[in-house]
This record gives sequence, structure tokens and C-alpha cells, in this order.
Amino acid sequence: MTAAIEIWTYRNLIYNLAQRELRARYKKSVLGWAWSLINPASTLVIFSLVFGVFLKQTPPSFGNGDTGVFALYLFAGLVVWNFFNATINGSITALQNSGQLLNKVYFPASCPAIANLMTVVLQGVIEGGILAVVMVVLGNVSVTFLLFPFTLLLLAPFALGIGLAVSIFNVYLRDVGYLVSIGMNLLFYATPIVYPVTAIPEERWGLPLRTIFSLNPVAQFVGWSRDAFYLLRWPSLANVAVMLVISLGTFLIGWTIFSWRSKNVTEEL
Amino acid sequence: MAAEIPAIRVDHVSKTFRRYKDRPGSLKEMITKFRMERYENFRAVDDVSLQVEHGEVFGLVGHNGSGKSTLLKMMANIHRPTSGTITTDGRISALLELGAGFHPDLTGRENIYLNASILGLHRREVDLLLDDIVDFSGLSAFIDSPVRHYSSGMFVRLGFAVAVHVNPQILIVDEIIAVGDEEFQRRCFEHLYKLRNNGVTIVMVTHSLEIVRTMCDRAAWLDHGQLMSEGRSVDVVRDYLSQVNDAESERQFELDRERAVIEQEARLRESPVGEPAERLVTLGEIELIDHNGRETRYLETHRSAVIRVNFQCRRPVQRPKFSFSIETQAGVLASNQGTTPDHGVQPEYSGDGSIDFVMPSVVLGPGEYSLSVAVHDSDGTMVVDKKERVITFRVGTDLPFTGVTDLLGSWSEPNFGGRQ
Repeated sequence: MTAAIEIWTYRNLIYNLAQRELRARYKKSVLGWAWSLINPASTLVIFSLVFGVFLKQTPPSFGNGDTGVFALYLFAGLVVWNFFNATINGSITALQNSGQLLNKVYFPASCPAIANLMTVVLQGVIEGGILAVVMVVLGNVSVTFLLFPFTLLLLAPFALGIGLAVSIFNVYLRDVGYLVSIGMNLLFYATPIVYPVTAIPEERWGLPLRTIFSLNPVAQFVGWSRDAFYLLRWPSLANVAVMLVISLGTFLIGWTIFSWRSKNVTEEL
Repeated sequence: MAAEIPAIRVDHVSKTFRRYKDRPGSLKEMITKFRMERYENFRAVDDVSLQVEHGEVFGLVGHNGSGKSTLLKMMANIHRPTSGTITTDGRISALLELGAGFHPDLTGRENIYLNASILGLHRREVDLLLDDIVDFSGLSAFIDSPVRHYSSGMFVRLGFAVAVHVNPQILIVDEIIAVGDEEFQRRCFEHLYKLRNNGVTIVMVTHSLEIVRTMCDRAAWLDHGQLMSEGRSVDVVRDYLSQVNDAESERQFELDRERAVIEQEARLRESPVGEPAERLVTLGEIELIDHNGRETRYLETHRSAVIRVNFQCRRPVQRPKFSFSIETQAGVLASNQGTTPDHGVQPEYSGDGSIDFVMPSVVLGPGEYSLSVAVHDSDGTMVVDKKERVITFRVGTDLPFTGVTDLLGSWSEPNFGGRQ
């Protein structure tokens, strides 16, 4: 609780650190802020080409009954993945890069990771916005769009918890960063993002394979994002309750690990 | 009463760092060297207790690696003590670096907001102070250019302009005064004086004993992590100086000995064989003795001291003349003193002896000096033996004067009304 109050008193610093990241990101570029739109939009175009034209994947149909577009199906999942990925990798680099500053001024060591989360949230909202606009144009609209901000709301503490934990271990042992990038790569393909959930066999080698895959919380969040924008349906209340527990639990565990290990972090940075 | 709580209380604080012998930077090394001792503990601060009262300027002195910066960082909450506690009363602002967190790609204006938030100012406060900060820095023409284009001087000025406008109750300063030109340093001091007059508690680390003596009310001296003394800054500085000079004395002895050997050899080469034997008087060891009766290379102003000249007479000689000269490092003669022909009662000297020059009060100013000694024949026309720059020594003082000598005067009360 005291930690929460302390973070609150440093909100101004967090805000400024996030602003520094965002401002510095597009400095010296002509298009500037437009890049945060162009980047996801170009991904959308490339996916449309690769999966729609060359690989000719058949997507599920839209929530409104129209024939689906695989690129959009993919993009709805990618928005969640990008958020998760950027939070975790960003937490690692944010803490590492703040080493010098933390040695000069006192502030909670979690501030850089939280500031990074703020920039990630902004990017997530932009990407979600693009997706929403495209769906509106296609006429696939529903109140389920509101599920998306809720998804980010639960995804944020989940990703931050993991991000904090790995970032603090990375300070002591740089291998953690490399292991994380391998792990993220693996998780990307273990999560039904570039393929639909239905591509996983129900059962294989006597194992309920699809159920095992669906235990991956990231897969759940990916599913929610698709529910919100693509399939236009609500997840079950039980599902939401479970994810709420997982999300907050992960955050608390990550936070505890971070607080425990970050006591002498300034000496190691 | 709040006044009874000190601004900073350091209570039996120790800090141990891990000093890695060979840091395991990767997992492989960690596994292969698993059973080896990978680090040793290094105690940077060792059981230090002290208090800084409200409104006081407190200095930390000590040589490099004495733990003073570590202690400062613990006061600023950057490092945590391994054992012991530090309690503080009031908003702390640590100025360990000017322009902390400046991003090179951002403009001066943007960095002001960033840096101010790092130092604990809120956005609205900065909005109000922005014009003042820009004015103070004198960089209004460049305030919207990225700071990467700034010179290092401009960088520091902008950082300082922000720091000045932070309104702390306790300010922790680490050697920042060492950067910048004279003009900048002057402004730094003006600012620190202003804060002091406003009742801000200031804790500073500095290598300049002059600053400690003039600015600080109290000080602490750390050596190898241990508190050597704490008290009035003048006393602490004196303690520190005398220890530093003891160490320096030691080094100076070593140098003098080496030089003596070299000169001895040179003299042997120069002089025709047998000549030293023909000298009637040869100089032996020259000693510089402080008020405690110990041999030293460090004297203190207004304390007594003795220059002792040892000599050997080959055979009884008519009373010779002894003299010495003291020069500053720059080669300026501070004093030349010699015995007069009617000195003493013994008309003839024989055997081994010594003669003292007794100074009841050293009046040399602070600085470094060298001592040369010579012995002449009885009428003082011929040098029989000499030792040039045989001793190099330092004079220290805690009196407010500089120069070669203290004139031993005092200032009167001012006179008014034209009365003579």
C-alpha cells in the first residue's frame, strides 16, 4: 500500500519519463507522430498481402455474418501481442537505461517500467483505434468494441508484473534478457495469432492439446481482442473472472519479486 | 518540538558492497564458476553515526574512497544501508549531477520539465517558474534547440538553473561546485549562501577544505569508511589536515632520503678523492622537529618548531658559522638565518655535535617550503659543507591569512570622526 502511495507521488516523474520516450522517439523524423499510425497500418497491409493473396488463408467470418478478412483477424490478435511484447521488452530496457539516473536521484525503480507501460498503452489505443475504424468502414460494428479497453486494462497489470520480474533479474544477469527474447519468440507461435485456434487439434498424443494451449493467458487476451473487434461477442463471465484473478495475481507476484530484488538495484546498474 | 528532531540522523550505519573478482556476466560463467568465491565484501561505510541539525551546513571530508559519497547517497536514499538506519525530516533534494536525465534529442525547454520532475517539482510549479529558469540560465536564444547542440558549459548552466529553482528543505550536494568556470562557481556559492540564509539544511561533499572551513557549520571526516571526527568544521579540518600531512610527511621523508643518496653520490663524483676528509666540518643529518618533539615535514603556524643541524668536526676547529635558508616552492627566499661570529661561548668545536635553531612560533604562511643548510669557516667567507634543499616541508594554518609570512598584527576597532 505504501508502495502504491509512493508511486502516486512520483506520477509526475512517470509522466515526464513517458513523454521523454515518446518525444525522443520521433525526433528528427519528418513524419514524426504519423509513424505510430504508419507502422501498424503497414503491418496490416503486409499481412493482407501475405495471408490474403499469397497464402490464401480462410478466416472465420465476421461477427455480423460477412465473409472475414484474414489480415484483420490477424491484426486483432497482433494488437494484443504487440502490447504484451512491448511491455516486457520495454521494461527490461527501461530499467537498464535508467541505471545512471537511479544512481543520481532517488525515485522508485519501478517508475521507468511504468512509464514504458504508458507509452505502450498509447500505442495499443492507436492500434485498436485503427482496427475500429477499419471495422466501422466494413460495417462490422458492435458495442463489443468496449471489450477492447477492458482487455488492455487487464493485460496491462499482467504484462507489467512479468516485465518487472524479468527486468530486475536481467539487471543481475544479462542472460535473462536473451532468454526472454527466445521465450517471447516461442510464446508468439504457441499463441494462436498467425493461425486460428481451430488450427490446433483437439487431441493429440492422448493430450487435450487445444485445452492446454488455451491455458496460455496471452491466448485468452488475444481471443478477447478478436471477440471485441472481429467476432463481436462477449467472453463468458467465468472467463473474465479467471482472467481477472490471473492478471492481478501475476502483477502482485511480479511486483513482490521486483520489490524484493530492487532494494540494492542501484549498486548493480 | 520539531526542532528536537535532527534533519538527518545517521545511526550506526554500515554499507557493504560486493566487489566482484570476476563478474559472472553470463549464465555459463555462473555455472562453471559456481563453486568459486565470486566476490568479496567491501565495507564502504563502517558503523557511522552522526546528526545533521536543521538549518545547518554540514560538510563531509575525506580522501578518495573514504566512503563519503556512499554516505551521501544513502542520505539521499539512492543506496540503502546494509545495517543501521538513516532517518530524515524534511523534503530532500539531491544534487549529485546537474542536468540529471537530460535527453540529448529534446529541447532545452522540454528538458527543463523533465529534469524538474526528476528533482521533484510538479508540472504546474514548473509552468510558473519556466521564465525564471530560462532567464537564470541565460540561454533563452537556445531554449528551443535540442540540448545535444549545447556546449558542456551551457548544459551545466541549464541544469543548474533548474536545480536552483527546486525548493528543498534538505539539500544534498556532491562536488558539483567543481564544474564550470569561475563565474559559474561564484553563482553556485551565492545560491548556496542564499539557501543557507533561508534555513535550508545543506549536506555537502567537497575536496576543498577552504569551502568546508568557510561555509560549513559542522563537518565530519571519514577515512576508510570510518568516522574519524565530527564537530565544528574548523576543528575537523585541522584534524584532517594534520593526518593528511602526517601521511605526506612520511612520503616527504622518503623523497628526502632518496635525494640525499643521489646528492651524496654526485658529491663524491665531483669532489677529488680525499677531499671530504680534509673538510674540517661536515654536515650530518638535518632534522625538522615539531612542537611535539617529533621529526616532521609538516609545521603549523604559531606552533613552535626546531631546525636541528648535526655536524662532525674532524679535529678541533675555530667556531664555524652555520646558516640555513628557507625558500618557497617558487624559489622565493622566505628567510636566511646564520650564526654570528660572536655566537656562543665555546671558541673551539670538536667531535660530533648538533646545533638547534629554535622557533618559538612559526610565522610562515601556508604552503610548501624547502630548507637548505650550510656551514662556513669562522669568518664566514668559505663554505665548508652545504646541503641544498635537504628538507621539503609544508606549513598549514587555520588562520585567515595567506602569503609567505604572518605579520603578527591585529586589526583595531574602526575609528570614526577624524580623530587621530
